Amino acid sequence: MDDIKKIARELFTSGKVNAVLGYVSINGQRTKPFLATKPEETDNFIINKYILNNLTVYLTKKEILKYGKIGIFAKGCDVKAIVALLQESQIKREEVYIVGINCNGVCADFDMEFSGETIALKCLNCEVRTPKLYDELIGTTEEMPKADDGKLKMIRKIEALSSAEKWDIFEEQFDKCIKCYACRQACPLCYCERCISDKSVPRWIESSASKRGNFSWNIIRAFHLAGRCIGCNECERACPMEIPLSLLNRKMAMVAQEEFKYVSGLDPNTPTLIGSYDLKDDEDFIE
Amino acid sequence: MDEKIITKENLKAMCSELLKNNVDVISPLENGYLKLKSGDELTLDSKAKHTKASFKEYVFPKTEPIIFYKKSQSDVELLDVKMEDKQTVIFGAKPCDVRSIGILRKVFNWDYKDEFFNVRTNNTITIGMMCQFCDDFCFCTSVGLSPVSSEGSDIFLIPLDENNFALRVITPKGEEFIKPFGKYLMDGIKGKSEAAEKNVKFPEKVFDSEKVKEWITNNFENEYWNTIGKMCLGCAQCAFVCPVCHCFDIVDEDYNYTEGRRMKNWDGCQFDMFTLHASGHNPRDIQSKRYRQRISHKFKYYPDKFNEILCTGCGRCSRGCPVSMDIKEIVTGIGELANKV
Repeated sequence: MDDIKKIARELFTSGKVNAVLGYVSINGQRTKPFLATKPEETDNFIINKYILNNLTVYLTKKEILKYGKIGIFAKGCDVKAIVALLQESQIKREEVYIVGINCNGVCADFDMEFSGETIALKCLNCEVRTPKLYDELIGTTEEMPKADDGKLKMIRKIEALSSAEKWDIFEEQFDKCIKCYACRQACPLCYCERCISDKSVPRWIESSASKRGNFSWNIIRAFHLAGRCIGCNECERACPMEIPLSLLNRKMAMVAQEEFKYVSGLDPNTPTLIGSYDLKDDEDFIE
Repeated sequence: MDEKIITKENLKAMCSELLKNNVDVISPLENGYLKLKSGDELTLDSKAKHTKASFKEYVFPKTEPIIFYKKSQSDVELLDVKMEDKQTVIFGAKPCDVRSIGILRKVFNWDYKDEFFNVRTNNTITIGMMCQFCDDFCFCTSVGLSPVSSEGSDIFLIPLDENNFALRVITPKGEEFIKPFGKYLMDGIKGKSEAAEKNVKFPEKVFDSEKVKEWITNNFENEYWNTIGKMCLGCAQCAFVCPVCHCFDIVDEDYNYTEGRRMKNWDGCQFDMFTLHASGHNPRDIQSKRYRQRISHKFKYYPDKFNEILCTGCGRCSRGCPVSMDIKEIVTGIGELANKV
């Protein structure tokens, strides 16, 4: 891998950016997101199999925005989130300098050896190992371990169930929710300044982590991400209660692709699926 | 009562007996602190990693009704919540978890006695167990605890080998509890449990909590808070998995136009809504101010008010943080700053 520290430092010295979002190592293999605001703060920057976070989430945060132009190290999936933010007019292209990372997959979690068994499921069938948008590109793509797409199998299994059975699965999983909103906060596309779940006049979603409150929250979040989620899977990784949120989000993305030939986050100039209208849109579903 | 010895099989039998008597038995299993369905589920693995969340949920639920109401045109009728009078046994919890009840009891009985918390904890027996797990996130020794501290336990277990545990009765409540189970107990062997305790790896003490408190007192506006706080995403994972974070919000939920319930829900100081005033003003308007609050509450305000550190050093918040913020590292950083002064 290229000399990350040198690349990061040069972003400052060349005057391209005022701050750089990257990964720094902690406790051996682990990494964490870090915002360098001075060239010397990039000394601990690292790229390895454990750069799990999608740093795009910071691009819409007030405390980060105040630095002005931001450089960001981004894997292909992270770049999809940047593109989705551009599609939704949440950031300006000229305000972000993207260091795209040619990616050979990341680990599902820290403290694991990288292999076909521990590769993050989002990396299987990845079509953006070379990011779709970048200002400079680092690294090379190499062969990736093959693995079983267990999540897709689960989606297919759930699809085959009756509505009542699906309901039972939702209920069982959402019961675990503690309403910590780690899913929302870790999501690069959950950027609303005031989330619908925090609105109290009127109260759309009960704030209690009760059956009803949990059901409303998780289903509404899935709907709000339908046709938008880029599949970085940060919500599921952030969930302390291990709710398999990717099943819902991925199913929604599959529907968007199958029914509307739409994939979120591939091209900044493509109008969004939910936010655009065409006279030729299919209306057969209106009865 | 003198120290006794009990086999794992007999601990399981004890659990089964409790379950038969309609007692809720909660124990740390692979997927968290769960209600046991049978005594056989008991793993009592002192080498196991901490569960993702503590057992807080069982004494202070994530959501609970505190009153029900019925409205008519001229009146509101209030109906009390009937608490179930049921005994709960927390079985085999780590010292950093059992300690939490004593810390929480202070805040829940300070200006107002929280009957929900009190009824539940009074009905709860805590059986702690020596901890033989220690990773980079553990720091119990820095907050006055240790893998062998029995503080907060009614009964304390010390694993002697695969199948045998030393059993120490710590409180009169524990003494009362263990009486019917005398048949499962054998006499202790002198020196065995002490030897087991000596073999335990203690996490290194990484900061002096008194110095940390003093530094926080004098450094409300220090740049350090900005440095660490800006990467926080503002979720409440840390607070909700924490054994001692206890903030809650009270909201009314109408079922329909005439009936509803008042709920007490977990809340977290990292949410931007937490201190948002009705006027629109927010005294903690940015994440680093909210993060400063989290650390200050744990290591300064709570110790000032209740003479207890609001942290047991379990490290859960760090293990689960989506952006890998590490409270041990952060407070150690404060300790280092304090030493420079």
